[in-house]
Amino acid sequence: MKMSANTADKDNNVSTNKNISLPISRVRLIMKSSPDVSNINQEALFLTTKATELFVQYLAVSSFNNGSGKGSKSLSYSDLASTAEENDTFHFLTDILPKKILAGDYLKTLEQIEDEEADI
Amino acid sequence: MASSSGNDDDLTIPRAAINKMIKETLPNVRVANDARELVVNCCTEFIHLVSSEANEICNKSEKKTISPEHVINALESLGFGSYITEVKDVLQECKSVALKRRKASSRLENLGIPEEELLRQQQELFAKARQQQAELAQQEWLQMQQAAEQAHMAATSASAGQQAGSSQDEDDDDDICL
Repeated sequence: MKMSANTADKDNNVSTNKNISLPISRVRLIMKSSPDVSNINQEALFLTTKATELFVQYLAVSSFNNGSGKGSKSLSYSDLASTAEENDTFHFLTDILPKKILAGDYLKTLEQIEDEEADI
Repeated sequence: MASSSGNDDDLTIPRAAINKMIKETLPNVRVANDARELVVNCCTEFIHLVSSEANEICNKSEKKTISPEHVINALESLGFGSYITEVKDVLQECKSVALKRRKASSRLENLGIPEEELLRQQQELFAKARQQQAELAQQEWLQMQQAAEQAHMAATSASAGQQAGSSQDEDDDDDICL
């Protein structure tokens, strides 16, 4: 009996109910691409999808409230990056959000490295 | 936008879905493109985080399938305990939607007619349909025959009339009218 509920939900994987806006099938794909993850119960999948939505909302709102763009009603990359660094729960994000550096600074750093290697 | 490459690591939530969420969460706020891109990637990262944690909890429980309990415990241990109430509400909603669907489909199954009777009714319907088809085909055939006869008569009389001369036309007309 659970099978029919599963297949039916797979077909309407976006919004059979107004409470979930992310595509459930995509969330499942991403979960399964995690190493070692085998099977996921359909309800567990709903939970994860909803939790991800809450996460997005929370990330957006926190970054905006703590960010420099609040006055001008804008949200920038660096707002997100700062929030991730300052907020413990967001620490897992620091790997994927290096603070961006200006191209000019990067080139200078490169030159420095080259100079150092030349000296050796 | 959907990843067409077979590479699992490229999987992300569709940009459009994220944009929509951001718009609903922060209405009237201008969000830079690279910031949006970042949110998309953070999503994927979050999903991996929760799946791995839930998976570990699942393994410890010696079950093979990640259950809702495992996910809830994972959220708690990762510091997202505040999400649990809302997330549980959605679960209830999904369960009741699924339940309604099951009820709807079983209502069809339980009209109370046993299978043999259903089969018999089906055979009856087929036989009826075949009969109707046959009658229709017969009617069409008759009509075609009549039309062919008329055409033939018209053709023969016309040539006979031509041979006999124009004064015969009236009599010939009477013969042709069937």
